[in-house]
Amino acid sequence: MSHLSFSLQVLFSGLAVGAIYALVSLGFVLIIRATNVVNFSQGDFAMLGAYALVTFFTMLRLPYGLGIVLSLAVMAVVGVLFNYGVYYPLRERTYLPVIISTLGAGIFMENVVLALFGPQPQPLAKVFSSPGIELGGVFLDSQYLVILAVTAIAVAFQWFFFEHTLLGKKLQATSQDKEMARLVGIPVAWMIALTFIYSATLGGLAGILIGPILFVSHGMGGTIALKAFSSTVIGGFGDVKGAIVGGLLLGVVEAFAGAYVSVPYKDAFGFLLLFLFLLVRPQGIFGERVAEKA
Amino acid sequence: MNVKWTGILAAAFAVASASRASGADTIKIGVTAELTGPNAEAGAYEVNGANLALDEINKAGGVLGKKLELRIEDTQSSNNGAVNALSRLGSEGNLVAIVGSVRSTQVQAMSPTLQKLGIPMMIGGTDYGLTHAGNPWLFRCRPNDGYSAKVIAEFGVKTLGKKKWAIVHSTDAFGNGGKDRLADALKALGVTPVLVQGFTSNTQDFTPVVLAIKQAGADVMASYIANSPDVGVLSKQLRQLGVTAPWVGSPSIASSTALKLGEEALHGTYAIADFSPGSSAEAQAYAQKYRDRYKVEADFYSSWAYDAVHLVAKAIEAKKSTKPADLKAAFHSVKGHKGAEGAYQFDANGDGLHGYNIVKNEKGNIVFVKTISFVPAQ
Repeated sequence: MSHLSFSLQVLFSGLAVGAIYALVSLGFVLIIRATNVVNFSQGDFAMLGAYALVTFFTMLRLPYGLGIVLSLAVMAVVGVLFNYGVYYPLRERTYLPVIISTLGAGIFMENVVLALFGPQPQPLAKVFSSPGIELGGVFLDSQYLVILAVTAIAVAFQWFFFEHTLLGKKLQATSQDKEMARLVGIPVAWMIALTFIYSATLGGLAGILIGPILFVSHGMGGTIALKAFSSTVIGGFGDVKGAIVGGLLLGVVEAFAGAYVSVPYKDAFGFLLLFLFLLVRPQGIFGERVAEKA
Repeated sequence: MNVKWTGILAAAFAVASASRASGADTIKIGVTAELTGPNAEAGAYEVNGANLALDEINKAGGVLGKKLELRIEDTQSSNNGAVNALSRLGSEGNLVAIVGSVRSTQVQAMSPTLQKLGIPMMIGGTDYGLTHAGNPWLFRCRPNDGYSAKVIAEFGVKTLGKKKWAIVHSTDAFGNGGKDRLADALKALGVTPVLVQGFTSNTQDFTPVVLAIKQAGADVMASYIANSPDVGVLSKQLRQLGVTAPWVGSPSIASSTALKLGEEALHGTYAIADFSPGSSAEAQAYAQKYRDRYKVEADFYSSWAYDAVHLVAKAIEAKKSTKPADLKAAFHSVKGHKGAEGAYQFDANGDGLHGYNIVKNEKGNIVFVKTISFVPAQ
């Protein structure tokens, strides 16, 4: 195996894992922008999405495509319930009760799944039955290719939606200034509910995509969410571009650190990157420096 | 406090005191199990195995005329969770023995607390060091990694005839301990591994590990991996990136979870197995009973706990006593108790089993190949 194809192999897997971090991280960012709180059960949305597909595809034997559509619909419903059960009752409080509420919701979701599906991890079929293709000595896993393609489409869709549709602009206005948005007649509560629906669906999509690689278990959300949160901080807290770049960067840094330095300390390098950013550029890659108020 | 709440509280107290009263004339065995967290599947199997033995003993009249009872505490799949679980059990004050953890790292964490409590703990963790660190209360119901490493090395070098070894291991107490023992066992056979590669449990992507194996040009791979899901992820990526060298692994690569997750990527691999239904009549009977009751295949996560409860009952009967010191002495005088895992004979360190089976994954079925046993050191 040549040195180039070795590096490309590492780069490819790093980008694919990074794309998952990016998808979950996008969910974090949207909620941070809309509500100013971090949703600590974002990783559990991924877990729920994957279990929804296990239910529809593996257990009920529905077609794969239909299973995915139904799973995303389930996640949209989860988003509604999450908004009205976890966020809405506490919306007038400071950020802390809301954060604790999301933490509690995450523990609740994990244990409900544990009770319903049992502790044994479940395998999940890939989107394509082909394992992948070999290109110039580099093996491209079909599921990793799907992950990269779907992430690119999701990002493009999101950009178009926020910049070129009225609903997207209303959402942006809500996240920038709720009072002002309310004054110009935007239904703020409904906009926030929509944000939860969207980020739950996005989280579920990440779970559906990574399920065939990591298998589906009730604890799968934890590690992903931790890395995605790091991506959010690295990219710029609450910045959409930052979530994507931060996720990909973290995935690639981890993969190369694993291949060239040390596999056991792979995760440590990811967090070292986070630490360096907090030290040198705490606002992240795309974040704006927050000036101290006089 | 209004009337309704008072009523509920009173009812709660009544239930609590009733359950205590009913437990007064039973002999209690504590169980620390991973009921929640990433390894929750192993914890459920441990409890299954223990319950199967418990019901057999109680159906046959119990021990010393009393019923046995299990007091189960959750370790949350973590070391501090395990220590907390043991402390909670210890504070009950009336347990005769404890069925501990299958995870070496948790046993290691619980060991000091156990020594203070001074009651026997049956363990399933196979890290060699656990029973060699001066804690007289640990009794291992599975063969330790000192044996497993010798068996892997002997099988790979002598039976398969391979000399270029890659060792892949998780970086916890189990994986690190196993890796060291295997390197020693290979050295004794004149082989130095071409690659020793560790990884942290619950790794998302094994590409760097697989590429390292490819680059090292290994013709055989040995693994000490604690968690079955890691085996599943690794096996698929190994095959995808074109590694086809024979694989001889620690028991996790033949666990039912690994078989379900790894599917055909694990076909043709060899594992050492302390529990193998084909190895003895007792093992076969256990596998049958377990399948009938729980509708899943039995594996080592449950069989050691089954043996542990039977051994405790046997020790109590032998000494007609439930005192910790008597039980400890009784375990050391066990000679050839035939359990699901094998024939027990505890040596001075507290190791009960001294051999391993080699099994092969034939298209998803685990087939018994042979048993390699050693004479226990006295």
